[in-house]
Amino acid sequence: MIYAALLRKHWAAIGWLALVVLAALSAPTASPTPDLANVNQPPFHALHWLGTTPQGLDVGLSLWQGARTVLLVSLPASILTLLLGAALGGAAGYWGNTKWRVGRLKLVGVGITLLLAVAALFYVPVSWLWLGGPLLLGGSWLLGRNHHGATWPIPVDSIVMALIALLNSIPLLVLVVATAAVRPPSVGGVVALLSLTCWPVPARLMRGATLQSSKQPYLEAAWAAGIPTHRILWRHIGPNTLPVLLVRFPLTVAILIGLETTLSFLGVGLPADTPSWGRLLATVRQAPTNWWLIVCPGLAVVGTVLSLQRLSSPPKGPSHVT
Amino acid sequence: MRGQALLWHMARAAGATWLIVSVLFLLSHATIDPESQLRDTLENATHPSEAGQRAAATQQLLHRYGLDTPLFYTTWHPQVGWQWHGGQNQYHAWLTQLAHGNLGYSYQADAPVAELLAQALHYTLPLTLLAALLSVSAAVGLTVVLSYRPVGRRWFLRLAHTLQSLPLFLLALGLLLLFANPDALSWFPAFGLSSTAAAEAWQQPGIMLYQLTLPVASLVLSSFPALAIQLDGALQQEFTQPYTATARAKGASQARTAWRHALRNALLPLVTLLTELLPSIVAGSVVVEVIFALPGMGRLIADAALQQDFPVLLGGVGLVAFVRLVAQFMADILYSVLDPRFRIAA
Repeated sequence: MIYAALLRKHWAAIGWLALVVLAALSAPTASPTPDLANVNQPPFHALHWLGTTPQGLDVGLSLWQGARTVLLVSLPASILTLLLGAALGGAAGYWGNTKWRVGRLKLVGVGITLLLAVAALFYVPVSWLWLGGPLLLGGSWLLGRNHHGATWPIPVDSIVMALIALLNSIPLLVLVVATAAVRPPSVGGVVALLSLTCWPVPARLMRGATLQSSKQPYLEAAWAAGIPTHRILWRHIGPNTLPVLLVRFPLTVAILIGLETTLSFLGVGLPADTPSWGRLLATVRQAPTNWWLIVCPGLAVVGTVLSLQRLSSPPKGPSHVT
Repeated sequence: MRGQALLWHMARAAGATWLIVSVLFLLSHATIDPESQLRDTLENATHPSEAGQRAAATQQLLHRYGLDTPLFYTTWHPQVGWQWHGGQNQYHAWLTQLAHGNLGYSYQADAPVAELLAQALHYTLPLTLLAALLSVSAAVGLTVVLSYRPVGRRWFLRLAHTLQSLPLFLLALGLLLLFANPDALSWFPAFGLSSTAAAEAWQQPGIMLYQLTLPVASLVLSSFPALAIQLDGALQQEFTQPYTATARAKGASQARTAWRHALRNALLPLVTLLTELLPSIVAGSVVVEVIFALPGMGRLIADAALQQDFPVLLGGVGLVAFVRLVAQFMADILYSVLDPRFRIAA
């Protein structure tokens, strides 16, 4: 019922997004052959309805195949971004700087084990470590488990905020370009890179939401009743903070589509033979007066981003404070 | 109390800058093996020579760039265990150099880093400062004027949301296509900054302004919607407060209520945006500088990243990080000046 209402209200946005998804699923996988007889053709050509690029590639076909890249890169990247942001932000909001106290013995034990493991890296074949590492770590954790001595707090909040400050101190594009320069271009690399650099925004939101809901009386009651941490997080805090993430999802996808097209436009990140809207837009730099090279992919990008923004806007029109 | 808090803020900012730049230095130097890279370039660049000669040349180059010493104070070797190197390491040398105000020497360009940064800033600052000033004043002016005109405000917000969904490079390309195109309107130069040496001294700012019109316009169009949307939300929030009703009841006009009463309170969240704006003024814009071929800071940093010219990259990123911390510091002070509630909290 609520979905029917949503569909009626946002039929244009949902229709456009469905079209993009359909195009992505149905796009041919073979890389297109350039039609060198028809280079720089304007639209409404008999063979190429949307015109051709200076290399003789069909614009319509590039758009069709580019839709798949959009889906393949931005969807997994935004899911990963949100998950990473939710985990780190939620941990920072829930434990704060003082609430997670670890026994001194346990902390020292884990520390020594980690040091030993790093030292062992040089002597022992790596395959042993996969087996022995978790065993050692778990053992030392269990050893200190029932020790009722002095405890040290772990400043989770400060650590996460310091990470955010570190990421924010470098302009995002510079960071991405610098990392892309070191690694060979690949789709997986771009997904990892985007999610590793874009998580601070959802993390901040999640931290705020967790802080707010952990001040509620029912959570005090849950703590007082001795409900274990994982259940408090899953049953009491989770349902209250989930809407924050869900509302954020379309916006994150929109932001990542913008970033991905910008990266492809600059020629960084994705392999050179991956068809993408940004790469199609970059061809206009070789022929600055070919308006169709901007208008067609430009409309595709703007339509998708606008539809996603529309989906995440609250029911009372677009004006809202976040 | 205030002085102590201020000192604490400054100490924290300085510590954070040091930490960020150190992490960047260690990470960038640890991920790449300069020796193999140098060997590659030597093999490509020079005529084929003896292996021994090549090794000697590599050692010489490494020594010249100061890359032949260990990276950090301590290292771990499987045979020897932990080793203490004292002051003879790259990090220590780099820190000492930095403390003397020397940013190092570029690997690629034949110039000190400080000089390269100054050159880039010379092109970036007029562009970004102009863009920042224009977008802040456009956002504040338009939002306040339209805040009590519902029809205009609705259209304005729609426009702002549409503009916000356009990536910056698309905006820049669109402007180029419209206004620097012999087929459409050829009002502005397509890219670059032509030499202004031939013109009279009093004409130079005018020529520069003319050449910067399109880059500045694309920056303004891409950055002012976010400001306007945020400010509009804050203003509408203030309009629901009782004090606006009081102001209206005692006879203040709508314009006066908006400008003198609501705006002052609505501007507070905008102070946070200052912390975002100031670093980006120094960092420039990679996209705009690439499209309009301006030799600015964004291009410098991006090129340095692509060519793995670490002194320049670290210098540029360090400068941006430093400016960001200064901006944060200023925002903290501004907050406590503007809003007494923060003085108690701090």
